[in-house]
Amino acid sequence: MNIAIVVQRYGADINGGAELHARYIAERLARYADVRVLTTCARDYVTWRNEFPPGVDRVNDIAVERFPVSRERNAAEFGLRSDHVFSRRHSLQDELDWLTSEGPTSPALLARLSRGRDEFDFVLLFCARYFHAYHGARIVPERAVLVPTAERDPALGMAIFGPIFRGVRAIMYNSPEEQLLIRTAASNDHVPGVVVGIGSEIPAAVDPARARAKFGLAGPYVVYVGRIDENKGCAELFDFYTRYAADRRDGPTLVLIGKPVLEIPNRPFIKHIGFVDDSDKFDVVAGAAALVMPSYYESLSMVALEAWALGRPVIANAHCDVLLGQCLRSNGGLYYANAQEFAAVLDRVLTDDALVERLGRNGREFYEQHYSWTVIERKYLDMFAFLSSNGPTRGMERMPGWFARKLRSLRPAAQVLDELPSGPVVDADDRGPGRFAPQRQGAIA
Amino acid sequence: MDHNQGRRGHFHRGRRGPDRRGPERRQGPPPDQGNRPERTDRVDVEQIMRDIRTRIAQRSGIELSNQQIQELAARRLEAILDPRGLKPELLDQLRRSAGERPVSVDAATPGSAQTYPFDEASLYDSPNALLRFIRKLLQPLLRMMFNPTPIAHALALQSRLNAEIAAREAERDRRQAEWNALHYEILQRLALEVSRGSIESQNLMLRVESLAAKVDFNERRVRSMEGVQARVRPQETVQLAQAVPSVPPEATAPSPQAVVAQPAEAPRRRRRRRRGRRAPGVAVATEPTAGAPLPAGAVVEQDDAEIDEGFEDEAASELIDASEPGSLSEPIAEAAPVISSELITPPTPVTPAAAVSPTEPFASSEPTSSSSDPLPAAEPITVAQTAAPHEESVSPAEPDRQDGQVNE
Repeated sequence: MNIAIVVQRYGADINGGAELHARYIAERLARYADVRVLTTCARDYVTWRNEFPPGVDRVNDIAVERFPVSRERNAAEFGLRSDHVFSRRHSLQDELDWLTSEGPTSPALLARLSRGRDEFDFVLLFCARYFHAYHGARIVPERAVLVPTAERDPALGMAIFGPIFRGVRAIMYNSPEEQLLIRTAASNDHVPGVVVGIGSEIPAAVDPARARAKFGLAGPYVVYVGRIDENKGCAELFDFYTRYAADRRDGPTLVLIGKPVLEIPNRPFIKHIGFVDDSDKFDVVAGAAALVMPSYYESLSMVALEAWALGRPVIANAHCDVLLGQCLRSNGGLYYANAQEFAAVLDRVLTDDALVERLGRNGREFYEQHYSWTVIERKYLDMFAFLSSNGPTRGMERMPGWFARKLRSLRPAAQVLDELPSGPVVDADDRGPGRFAPQRQGAIA
Repeated sequence: MDHNQGRRGHFHRGRRGPDRRGPERRQGPPPDQGNRPERTDRVDVEQIMRDIRTRIAQRSGIELSNQQIQELAARRLEAILDPRGLKPELLDQLRRSAGERPVSVDAATPGSAQTYPFDEASLYDSPNALLRFIRKLLQPLLRMMFNPTPIAHALALQSRLNAEIAAREAERDRRQAEWNALHYEILQRLALEVSRGSIESQNLMLRVESLAAKVDFNERRVRSMEGVQARVRPQETVQLAQAVPSVPPEATAPSPQAVVAQPAEAPRRRRRRRRGRRAPGVAVATEPTAGAPLPAGAVVEQDDAEIDEGFEDEAASELIDASEPGSLSEPIAEAAPVISSELITPPTPVTPAAAVSPTEPFASSEPTSSSSDPLPAAEPITVAQTAAPHEESVSPAEPDRQDGQVNE
């Protein structure tokens, strides 16, 4: 079986969520099939500047073909176009222009895909909202398996993505919330889909004492792992934590791991240890009282899954449907919606060791049951087997004509999104392998 | 995921958060344990979060989300402002009170808009007479070029419409001003009523808490009394069976021997029962019969001191009366509040147990720290124990006994 994985960036040192997801999947599927990655030469996800040399490369024994990006992203133009399609009445052409301005525009990558359409049995397209996934799905719809990594943002309300969600062969969702959102937005119940998510490379043994000694962590602490960014809810986290620590002299330390994009408050109870390697990260997380996930928007939080895999509870932002759903389904984490709840939850976690242990145990069980590699590999392989034995139900819808594309008849994408259901899927039926039959309207797979 | 980068802030994004979620907020199907992952140790994070939120709400008042507040506000206003459910008198009253306020609205009067009387002649009109003459002279020529009549008609019609619209607009503004004042009045009253209701509910809540505490306390006391009663009753029954037939009617009056035979707690008990139901003079008069050789002033002082003990004492003493067999049915209990068995005892040999046992319920009824624990009831009583020395039998009533000693 030949599988192509198409993703916007790829590399051993690229740790973006979707990119890491793609790399893990490529390396895991390489045990069962010939996997080839098609990607761009970009390293920076903001500019898409070509930094890798074009051509064939190998990353962890996986063949990687890199193609140049034809134009870098113009942030100002992209912002204007985003504002236009998200909040104003617009045309299909406006959305296509928005997609082009978002990038990464790589005609060479699309040409390669078009040339080699018979070379691959399946083409895994990562990140539905990007240029390569949209046009890739239109080029090889009969082989396209989409990994949308979609979150609740206005782009999901754009009309151009509906045909993609309806026209690909299958969709590998990250969470039941994402699945329900896409199914409601695109009415694509006929498309086989399964909630898969992603596993992680959890070390067999961790040494929290070593991390404590290495980073000078004394006393209890909670940890945040990820980009320290306002978009990730870190500003709110700092605010809540500062208010929490102001009332407590011997409060826990907030340990931050990751690259700062946002200014970190200079407080004695906030400790930033920078970007660390995986072993340090796991050791720090294993020694924490809990992992804090302040993000409002997540398609799937890998660090939350890693914390659960290590038996640590998660304190999640209740405004994030996916995180909230995972906490509720796993019974492995608590959540907060405001500063008071944040303080109360933190107090509870820091004082009730038995509860922490039980939450951690539940989280570990949840991880092993849904996100261990054997489960994920099996879901992918079963999906490929299902698709091989069943033909496509529908083809890709044709692009409307020139005049239709120019017609300003589309509602603002944010308005469309507002009408989609929100909230966690509390009782998701985790369908077992091989159950990819098209779902009825509104059903949760 | 990284593709978040380069986008606008979250505040630009779609509807988020519980306060912005609509009623369509999705709920999962009913719990199906078969489909859910197995849960160890039965941790329910929803329950934990409910508890946490309840505690937060108790600590800082009820915390409602914006959506809940809006729903509540909408519901209440709907109920009050619904014209079908509103009394006409109230509406009139509100209108009047609203009308009394100075309404500063720049309502355009109908005549303020410029309205021209327009006809066919207006086209050629001019304040300049020469110009007017020339226009009139050239009017046929102009009419050859085009027909001005429809224009004149249209403009005349427009002029009339302008006047009507201006009048309508003025009327609408006036009504709007009136309604604004009315809404202001209603909202002001609503705010007042809500504040009043909130304070009242807070007071009621405090009262409920206070009463609940008292009820709880009294229940505990009743339980302790019942325990003691269960221990005392067989002995009393035996004594009554032996003594009642041989008692002459005059024996019901308190004799000096009977008073002497009573333990030291009896006078105190009598005083407590009568507290608050008699005049101070009566209290002084009855005290000497209790056998306590105290000056009247001392007795009154003690009563005053006991009154300060409040509700619990009063209620407790009444409970004692109700729980004692025979004390309610016999008027003598009110005249001389000693238990019948005590009164009967003088003709018969007084045993230590007979002297002690009636005092035990009283002793445990004291609002002391030990009263919450039904100590006597917890101890299995045997015949040997009933014949035990006096001091040992009254040990649960030790605080009361101390009081008695102080009083004496």
